[in-house]
Amino acid sequence: MKKLYSNKLVITSLVLPGLLVFVFAILAPICLSVYYGFTDYSGMGKATFIGIENYRALMQDKTFWKSLWHSVLLAIGFICIQHPLAMIVAAVLDKLQGKAEGFFRCVYFIPNVISVAVIAYLWKFIYNPDFGLLNNVLKAFGYTGKINWFDSKIAIWSVLIVLIWHGFGWGMLIYYTGIKNIDPVLYEAAAIDGANQKQIFLKVTLPQMKSVIQVNVTMAIISALKQMETVYLLTNGGPGDSTQFTANYLYQQAFKAFKYGYGNAISVVFIIICILITVLLNTIFADRDKR
Amino acid sequence: MKKKALSAMLAAAMAATSVLGSVAVVNAEEEVTLKLFSNLPDRKNGQGLVEQMIIDEYMAENPNVKIEVEALDEEAYKTKFKAYAMDGMPDVVSIWGQPAFLDEVLEAGVLAELNEADYADYAFVEGSLEGFKKDDKLYGLPRNTDIAVIYYNQKMFEDNGWEIPATYDDLLTLAGTIRESDIIPMAMDGGDGWPMAVYLSDLVNKINGSTKDLFAEAIANGDFTADPFKQATDLMRQSVEAGLFQDGYDSQDYGTAMNLFTNGQAAMFYMGSWEASMALNEDIPEEIRTNIRVFTMPVVDGGQGGANDIAAWNGGGYAVSATSEVQEEAVKFLNYMYQPDKLSKYGWENGVGLSAQDQTAYMTGEETELQKQIVEIATGATSLSGTPVNDCGPSAFKTCIESEIQNVTNGTSTVDDFLATIGKACQ
Amino acid sequence: MKTKKLSVGKVVLWVILIIVAVIQIFPLIWLLDFSLASSNEMFTSGLLIIPEKIQWGNYVKAFVDGHFLQYLKNSVLINGLAVIFVILISIMAAYACHRMHWKLSTTVKTILLLGMMIPIHATLLPNYKIYNMLGLTDTIWALLIPYVAFSLPQAMFLMTSFLDSIPIELEEAAVMDGCGIYRIVFQIVTPMLKPSIATVSIMTFLNNWNEFMMASTYLSSPKWKTLPFSVLEFTGQYSSNYAVQFAVMALTAAPAVIVYVILNKHITKGVAMGAVKG
Repeated sequence: MKKLYSNKLVITSLVLPGLLVFVFAILAPICLSVYYGFTDYSGMGKATFIGIENYRALMQDKTFWKSLWHSVLLAIGFICIQHPLAMIVAAVLDKLQGKAEGFFRCVYFIPNVISVAVIAYLWKFIYNPDFGLLNNVLKAFGYTGKINWFDSKIAIWSVLIVLIWHGFGWGMLIYYTGIKNIDPVLYEAAAIDGANQKQIFLKVTLPQMKSVIQVNVTMAIISALKQMETVYLLTNGGPGDSTQFTANYLYQQAFKAFKYGYGNAISVVFIIICILITVLLNTIFADRDKR
Repeated sequence: MKKKALSAMLAAAMAATSVLGSVAVVNAEEEVTLKLFSNLPDRKNGQGLVEQMIIDEYMAENPNVKIEVEALDEEAYKTKFKAYAMDGMPDVVSIWGQPAFLDEVLEAGVLAELNEADYADYAFVEGSLEGFKKDDKLYGLPRNTDIAVIYYNQKMFEDNGWEIPATYDDLLTLAGTIRESDIIPMAMDGGDGWPMAVYLSDLVNKINGSTKDLFAEAIANGDFTADPFKQATDLMRQSVEAGLFQDGYDSQDYGTAMNLFTNGQAAMFYMGSWEASMALNEDIPEEIRTNIRVFTMPVVDGGQGGANDIAAWNGGGYAVSATSEVQEEAVKFLNYMYQPDKLSKYGWENGVGLSAQDQTAYMTGEETELQKQIVEIATGATSLSGTPVNDCGPSAFKTCIESEIQNVTNGTSTVDDFLATIGKACQ
Repeated sequence: MKTKKLSVGKVVLWVILIIVAVIQIFPLIWLLDFSLASSNEMFTSGLLIIPEKIQWGNYVKAFVDGHFLQYLKNSVLINGLAVIFVILISIMAAYACHRMHWKLSTTVKTILLLGMMIPIHATLLPNYKIYNMLGLTDTIWALLIPYVAFSLPQAMFLMTSFLDSIPIELEEAAVMDGCGIYRIVFQIVTPMLKPSIATVSIMTFLNNWNEFMMASTYLSSPKWKTLPFSVLEFTGQYSSNYAVQFAVMALTAAPAVIVYVILNKHITKGVAMGAVKG
């Protein structure tokens, strides 16, 4: 038995496909990024080694820091707007029974299964100041002004609304499952103690959902960092750089501005930041759990 | 029908003679697949239709040749082109004879050299090949002569008693008047950045009287503090404040801007002469498409540029990949497209703007009013500005100015900051 | 007194649910509405319109010129293959790392899970270069490899946590009967992992179905292009016809929505399970 379970050949054959995929699709490109990050490669012709010049330039690159800041804003938006809403709706949904529950759950989740390409183009139309849905809705409520939703001052929030709308069903579903998994005995006990709905939500539901919230918050922060496709199609970072995100920026630098080396330097820093934040979040939450 | 067959035969003969001199004859039996990478995704209207017509004809005449087209929007095209340039390009590609695009491409040596002598009979407009050369060697051929124009809805102007503005101040006053009727004065594709850079260049041209030397010097020194730049940028900022462009112009794309105009939401539309085919586009309501007319950028008070000093350049064109495995066939196809009775003639018949070749032979007097007007503008021009500023420098500069121009026009950054930032991007 | 309070609460409850439902679904109804109108009707004011004449032609154009069937086929094929690869590889690796005895098992597991932290788009540039060198661009592999790679960590994670709940005694009995490891993995363990296989399939499918950044970078000919491309190509092709653009968007969204509505319960369960475990 033991011999069978430690047969090196068998182990290798089982792990090899996974490792190969990892090496080929993740490790090799990262190594290549590190290499090109040290060069002034334009994408064509020769690459000259220029040391840490790209990284030095990156430290002073306002747009890069701005794009990171936008990720932070996005994460805050997710955590402070999307998640409380999703949690409340999940709690409300939990109170329903029968067909209605299934119906609403289904409706809420539908945007999630639609391609980002469709979502982004659709919202471009929704936001259009002249014939878009949103301003028409406002008009129906009696507001006649034309709001420019992609004004450079508020564009980032308009992008945020799309992302919140798109991901709402996902967040809601996770909280919903979390709530369903709470032991009903706890509610009964609370009811016996004479707690009202609000108290039950704050004293029973929320604490019980701690681990679900942690998972959701981690995912929100990571997805905010990785944001690219919606922004690429919706605004491509504009007007100016008011909705620029790191992934979109590195793509632009490499393929549009002909700074492939610089784009790769951004990739490297981007990866490091993502790893750092994931590790940081895990340690924070792990510490909490121990306490 | 007979005429068509005859012209086809003639064409084939011409193609054969033009190719024979330089390359060996391709075996007629051999199957050849040509990959064409094009920046014209709309294959049913205008320039894209013309391109597709020629491709279909070529394939009909050469049954052994199959042409596969990959077509993307301008912005997506340029991005993908650079990705292709890294390793292995499609055989025939759309290019732009402008430093921002071509310099780096030529440096990497991805385009095949063409024999200039082959094109002596192709009636290219004088000077139109210059942008496609490096060290006196020719690497591509221009497709159009592009003029920056202001399209306007003539009927709308007449119904409301609006006048075509003679000076830029008049234009701004007009913008206010048009706004009062709850119509957008001018639709602008500001989301892409480049049309605004063209607009800026147009203004600089009206202020300075010419742009070539000014742009070249500014980019070489990374210094844009010269007065015409300041004044032009100021004017653009003022235009936005005066409500000349639609709300949210800085986030709306080409299609949106054009649709505002073609659906009667906007009175004017700033774009290149290549959109003259709007007049024949069946997707556009008839009442509007038959009323589209143009004028050029009005003069600026105190500026040195006159009404006939226009913003025009030879931009888009085609080239052949240096690494193409079927280069002979690719060059053959390229030459076929440029026979005067192909791109030029079909383009003219389909209402596309001006080609880079002499088109006088194809003028029938039955052109759309819009085409006639554009020809008038071109023939009446006292000077042509040359390449717009964003395309005069390296790609990093282009990316920078096209993004920063959104910031400066919408008031996020100041004029001085804008000029300093784009100057820095040249280094 | 008590009943009255309850009913007020219920009304509020319903109002909230309905408002949220409207917000989530109205844009899609709007999309459908205008996809059946003619282009210039869009510029009339009003939220929804009754088209003067229902323009089914928009859908015909979208269906034909959008290469709908071909792109749908590509999407299904690529995603299906990705799911199969992800499941196979993750079960094998999870089993080896979790059940078998070897020194580096934790290290390898950590390495494989590391992929979860890598932002997928950071590999766009170098991967393009690599695929180009190997001649993989414009082939199905250019999409399959990254899709599998970036879905693998999560799948590994789920499979490992499910393996825990499978009693080892079952396997011991099989070993007594003379089964090899491969038979244990594929004939005994795999069937017991069914719920997590369902979850992994759904998550992988959802993650990759809508992906287009890689697709647009690595692919050029229509041969392997996936469904989101219909939309991208159309905005250029029909830039002056909004209604057709709407039709192609509706058409592109349709398969996933229909499948979701039919399999609603299973998908919800799968996603929920994945989310709680992951």
